[in-house]
Amino acid sequence: MLKGIAASEGIGIGKVMIVAEQKLEYVPKEVTDVDAELKRYSDAVDAFCEETMEQADAIRKSTGNKEAEILEGHIAIIRDPFMNGEIENLIKSEQCAEKAVEQVCQMFIDMFSATGDELTMQRATDVKDIRDSLLAILLGIHQVKISDAPANTVLVVKELTPSMTAGIKKENIVGIITETGSQTSHSAILARALEIPAVLSVEGATTKLSTDEQIIVDGSNGEVVTAPSITEIADYTDKRESFLRDKRELENYRGKKTVSASGTEYELFCNIGTPKDATKAMAADGEGVGLFRTEFLFMDRNALPTEDEQFEAYKQASIIMKGAPIIIRTLDIGGDKEIPYLGLEKEENPFMGFRAIRYCLKNRDMFKSQIKAILRASAFGDIRIMFPLITAVEELRAGKELVEEAKSDLRASNIDFDENIQVGVMTETAASGVIAHLLAKEADFFSIGTNDLTGYTMAADRGNGDVAYLYSPFQPSVLMMIKRIIECGTKEGISVGMCGEAAANPMMIPLLISFGLTEFSVSAPSVLKVRKNISKWTQEEADAVTEKVMSMATEKEILDYLKTVV
Amino acid sequence: MVSKKLTIVNAQGFHMRPASTFATAMGKYGCDVVLKHNGKDVNAKSLMNIIAACIKCGNEVEVVATGPDEEAALAEAVSMIEAGFGE
Repeated sequence: MLKGIAASEGIGIGKVMIVAEQKLEYVPKEVTDVDAELKRYSDAVDAFCEETMEQADAIRKSTGNKEAEILEGHIAIIRDPFMNGEIENLIKSEQCAEKAVEQVCQMFIDMFSATGDELTMQRATDVKDIRDSLLAILLGIHQVKISDAPANTVLVVKELTPSMTAGIKKENIVGIITETGSQTSHSAILARALEIPAVLSVEGATTKLSTDEQIIVDGSNGEVVTAPSITEIADYTDKRESFLRDKRELENYRGKKTVSASGTEYELFCNIGTPKDATKAMAADGEGVGLFRTEFLFMDRNALPTEDEQFEAYKQASIIMKGAPIIIRTLDIGGDKEIPYLGLEKEENPFMGFRAIRYCLKNRDMFKSQIKAILRASAFGDIRIMFPLITAVEELRAGKELVEEAKSDLRASNIDFDENIQVGVMTETAASGVIAHLLAKEADFFSIGTNDLTGYTMAADRGNGDVAYLYSPFQPSVLMMIKRIIECGTKEGISVGMCGEAAANPMMIPLLISFGLTEFSVSAPSVLKVRKNISKWTQEEADAVTEKVMSMATEKEILDYLKTVV
Repeated sequence: MVSKKLTIVNAQGFHMRPASTFATAMGKYGCDVVLKHNGKDVNAKSLMNIIAACIKCGNEVEVVATGPDEEAALAEAVSMIEAGFGE
């Protein structure tokens, strides 16, 4: 078995077709007739554009407008007046067209690569693709036609270029394997758009595999099964069928409201770690962001981020989410994380130590700059503030006081923000569960962080194999905590969400419906699944299941029972 | 010379498609059009230079047009950027 990056979900079973790179070698020659060479170049550009237009039309029909635009972009690139001018200048200085094209393309490839920005670096791939196509035309080399691939072909290439993709016939190509690329590279985006299973970055794929050998591509797990047995083929055929069935079914939930079978509406949000993740949340049909972790702004650097830098990041997320609700969690950091410039001391017991809200309240300047950045971003959408690790009412009060201070600073500077910004508590400690009735009177919302709530309630570290068996949100104690937090919030009329992993667990969903949770925040790929799961439950059924569960004494009993009802 | 400072509002910033439509639109004008970003001057008629400038959502840019039809060029540039390139 070969391992790679799972870039496009699904399973493909077929025969390998290797598309090797062509050698685009040439001997640079001196140009005597500059006008003739300029014409040779412009003819090649015309031929390139004509070919690319045809490919774009083909891909528009087979895949869609967005993918065709990638190819049309190639025409825009080669027609770029600046780039064209540079190439023509080189030819005028008596360089041959091949050399001129190669040099100018290389200049842009270097320029794009140097930005360090992922999206811009990907454009370097486009320029390489254009360079190779132009050189092939100039050298009179015929390119391999992927469009001639027979049915059930697994395409194996070093790198999937947009022009290669244009040749792909969806009905014939059942899988794609490449030697380079990541989750976000062109190859991955195109494979997903074509809905062809793809495994990327499989080292040496074009040499390890040979044309016509039978193979299985598991794009969901990033695995390539070579020389599959009859049983493996049968297994993967079943997996493929059920994958396709589930996928069709889930798509019915896209663009719909999140509603239970009794007609109660819920908010279904996503958890994100960077503004860029907001794009994924939108694509996954998330209705907002229930947890925006802000640690990324503070990690992998040498000094604190400025208020402006933070503001830009929060604002960017808000613009991407088109103003939908975003709950921003203030810095959740402690002695177990490496942030050298904060000078955090190593602690004996960091999870019970100087971290999160405790650290922030002692470092007021740093904390205030984050709060000001969040407030400023609240002028651009429905932004809410959430404090992590609250264990006492004083902490919430101190945090809210700082929010008020930050507000008056901004007012004094005439900077816009949402005067009514909601300030909530991430209920993730046993203490916050027990005093939820007190916190609920002073917080604007709760969001249950089940990962830490489970750890702190059970006093069990899930990373420790000897005690991990205790770490389960289905432990009666944790369920009691969750129930209590939701009920206390409901009683005071504030919304209660859940942003831990448990929110996406099909067995937890009936309990949360019965307890009265109003918002589910899950990872982007879980959105449609959770929407579907919520839609299956009526209030009465959820209540009946929950009543039984809450009368049980052990986690095992609870899980055994829940497995029979979902 | 006329100019205006703007914030990029579309999620992907000045990526391929916006850069391409923007450069093509600016190419119609006789005046020079420059995007000032991060202390650098970017030729607004060149898609490749715009992409290399790596202008992201939330970034500030200043559009500077210089020449006979500068008013019209600036007006079109501003309306394209403010509309988020229709994205």
